[in-house]
Amino acid sequence: MTAQETAGAAPEHAQGSTPAAAPAADPETTVWTGPTAWIMPGLVTALGLVGVWGGLTLETPPNATRPGPGAFPLAIGALLLAAAVCMAVVNLRNRGRAGSGLEWFEARPVLLILAGLVVHTALLEVLGWLIAGALLFWIVAYAFGARSYLRDAVVALSMSAAVQVGFSLGLGLVLPGGFLGMVL
Amino acid sequence: MDTLYQLMDGLAAALTPENLLWAFLGVLLGTAVGVLPGMGSAMAVALLLPVTFRMDPTGAFILFAGVYYGGMFGGATTSILLNTPGQASSIATTYEGHKMALAGRAAQALGTAVIGSFVASIIGTLIVALFAPVMVSFALNFGPGEYFALTVFSFVAVAAVVSGSVLRGLTSLLIGLAIGLIGIDAQSGTARFDFGSATLLDGVDIVIVTVGLLALGEVLYVAARGKSAADFSAIRTGRPWLSRGDFKRSWKPWLRGTALGSAFGPIPGSGAEIPTFLSLGAERRLAARRAARTGEENQFGKGAIEGVAGPEAANNSSAAGTMVPLLGLGLPTSATAAIMLAAFQQYGLQPGPVLFERNADLVWTLLASLLIGSVLLLVINLPFAPLWAKLLKLPKPYLYAGITLFSVLAVYAINTSVLHLVVLIVIAVLGLGMRSFGLPVAPALIGVVLGPIAENEFRRALAASSGDPAILFESGISLGLYGLVLVAAVVPVLTHLRRRRKARPGAEHEPVA
Repeated sequence: MTAQETAGAAPEHAQGSTPAAAPAADPETTVWTGPTAWIMPGLVTALGLVGVWGGLTLETPPNATRPGPGAFPLAIGALLLAAAVCMAVVNLRNRGRAGSGLEWFEARPVLLILAGLVVHTALLEVLGWLIAGALLFWIVAYAFGARSYLRDAVVALSMSAAVQVGFSLGLGLVLPGGFLGMVL
Repeated sequence: MDTLYQLMDGLAAALTPENLLWAFLGVLLGTAVGVLPGMGSAMAVALLLPVTFRMDPTGAFILFAGVYYGGMFGGATTSILLNTPGQASSIATTYEGHKMALAGRAAQALGTAVIGSFVASIIGTLIVALFAPVMVSFALNFGPGEYFALTVFSFVAVAAVVSGSVLRGLTSLLIGLAIGLIGIDAQSGTARFDFGSATLLDGVDIVIVTVGLLALGEVLYVAARGKSAADFSAIRTGRPWLSRGDFKRSWKPWLRGTALGSAFGPIPGSGAEIPTFLSLGAERRLAARRAARTGEENQFGKGAIEGVAGPEAANNSSAAGTMVPLLGLGLPTSATAAIMLAAFQQYGLQPGPVLFERNADLVWTLLASLLIGSVLLLVINLPFAPLWAKLLKLPKPYLYAGITLFSVLAVYAINTSVLHLVVLIVIAVLGLGMRSFGLPVAPALIGVVLGPIAENEFRRALAASSGDPAILFESGISLGLYGLVLVAAVVPVLTHLRRRRKARPGAEHEPVA
């Protein structure tokens, strides 16, 4: 969910003055600027609301000792909301300050990898580890800029095969064979 | 002295050619698995468990000892070279270790890690052997109130001491605590936040969180950074041996780390994370003080060897320390220890005070095999350290594709469940978001691991006192820990204020994890 939000927000945030400003500074102390600054507070608020909602609506078994199962979710949810408020205050204070925002964020490779992961998850038990794994390897390599398709495919297949053989024979871990397993 | 003789007997029993072969194999396998992102020694021991079923107990435990230490060194290797720790205990190593690698000192970082691990495991094992009875009686003093104080202490230590911004560190911790809430509540059996999914009823496995936040999150983050990402090909592996200067800077952190690890290892719930982070924090502060006093350059944030030597020593000595409650009480204090407990039970042995009486020879053989494992770790991995460093010469697309493949594999292997992969993707996206906005990932992991323990102990304590919160502050141990919490919380705020007064010095801290 974050990636989509971020990906959507990244292009709008092109008003930054220095396009080549590589984030050399510590991201942990970098000030959030622009509209993307509100993504994290928003996410933390959402998590906090889920926690508070869960804490209040959990059905407590009648014989449960107090504090019941809802106490910790309620406390953590409330603390998350408090953290979100603090972040919002920091954001408001830093309004108008120049910063790099998230303009370095390249959404395309990220979305490619996520698509690869989704495809892999969906097809793993249908195609079997060998093909699904090789496909995942190939897509990620492509997202990272590998462009010699045939060589990449060979590397991907041999990696995937090595893992399957190594884990099945050496460690006794059963990976799904998929339709190949049925044919062979 | 009696214990020393028994340890010698154990050593004599363990030192057969066959057992040495098992130890060798264990170190090699453990390092290989530990090097894979998201797969630590716990994973390696777990995967080997079915394989060892036909071996005799002595051989199996020697194999496990080798895997345990090898896996930890493997975790240090990936932390240093790739910034992707394989397990929570090697997170602290990433901070300075990866900076050293980026500065072309990867081999020195690996060197200080492996020698530090060796020193720490030898000393740690001897301490365990000599002081096992004393330490067991200390750990037995802990009631639920003390456990809860201990977890609160770890939370504050991790969130406030380690991260560049206290607010972001705490937020990350809270996110981890929230993830830890998912699943069946251990006290009342109530299903919490399962969203109707049977997979989530068991909670989110720590392997999924580790792999998602650290390994896959890192892959996505590097992909998002595109051209602005750090370039591994520039990293030189350099000379494999430590120079005299490196040695001089390393030996004190080794000993301090060993002391911290031995002290915290036996305490249930603390695991290896707390001593490693405490060691990192202590070395950082000592370096700053040295810089202020003698004008010696403070290399923290730029790849300080002390920041690798200390945590790695703490890591290994705490691993030895976890043997105390495991053998003495039958209480596992880490994931690996939990799996080793399963291994004991596989042989029909129940660790605990009875084990020391009935199977004393086996206990001492196990402790001796830890010594053998650490010697072999040094012998095998010191020459190989530059070889592991060659990992970085792989083409970047293949390297990250490989990490992705092994991440997926590690999570799928937990339970051969595709649904776990769905959870993994969600957590990886969360990890990407946290990295992009500069939220440190480590506190979230600590929250996931210790959150359920904290909640359990809190509620157990209150149940025991029928709701009277005074039980939480009754003992000296708890009060001492809460005092440390206050110190840990106040010190970073003070230094932060002082730093701010010094007119914004810019990039003082470096990007973390």
